[in-house]
Amino acid sequence: MERRSFIKGTFALATIGLLNPVLFRHDLSAAEEAVEMPYKDLLDEYLGGKKAESGSAIIKLNVPDAPENGAVVPVEVTIDHPMTSDNYISNITVLTTKNKVNKAISFDLTPANGMAYLYVNVKMGQTQDLVVLAKTNKGKIFQASKSVRVALGGCG
Amino acid sequence: MELRGVVKILDQNYKVGDVVKAKIIIIHKMDTGFTKDKESGKPFPRFYMKEITALYNGQKIAHFDLDVATSQNPVIQFPFKVTGPGELVVDFVNSEDDKAQKKVAVTPAG
Repeated sequence: MERRSFIKGTFALATIGLLNPVLFRHDLSAAEEAVEMPYKDLLDEYLGGKKAESGSAIIKLNVPDAPENGAVVPVEVTIDHPMTSDNYISNITVLTTKNKVNKAISFDLTPANGMAYLYVNVKMGQTQDLVVLAKTNKGKIFQASKSVRVALGGCG
Repeated sequence: MELRGVVKILDQNYKVGDVVKAKIIIIHKMDTGFTKDKESGKPFPRFYMKEITALYNGQKIAHFDLDVATSQNPVIQFPFKVTGPGELVVDFVNSEDDKAQKKVAVTPAG
């Protein structure tokens, strides 16, 4: 082997090792390993090829503009939609856009809930948007979002 | 590990047919797996509350699928329609399949 190609090969291997610390971490089981969930992937998975309608008219978001601490951002979602047995909201999902893991919660509803409402606390690592997606039992998807300014991040 | 949590009904003096809100508080870590121990440099394993299911008189009324972007010690509020006296049973499952169950009685007035 020529010296030049040997050096090149060694450097390439070292770079791969540096870029992929996950490859060299064997002490954690698969369930315990950190998994990044990019916002776009989550959104595409939720939409499943369909298009989301603007839900700003029916989805009311009660989220502070600038919470004191990004670790606990209270999110209150109220959706003005009938909840009858043949026309109801079947799922509410809360996502963030710039965390490492962007999925906060997915809530499956039934007509027995009486109204479409959800309160949950969300972590936010930096200033970003909070996105709420709502699906009806007929497959319609509504989307609403709000920009939240975070001074002190709360996500590792 | 035993899971600690509380389930309560926020409204008082509710009647049959009213929509009331229930509150769930769970004392649980939500470790993302990205944070590291400052001394050893090893990452804390991913450890979080995974699923919450609420049953009202045996009927499944709500199911929550959580992930690590929910805050530590998650607080959740959800509505449900009172159809009669009974019990609200909430099941918790975390990422290591530890389970817990909390109950609250539903007692409409009148």
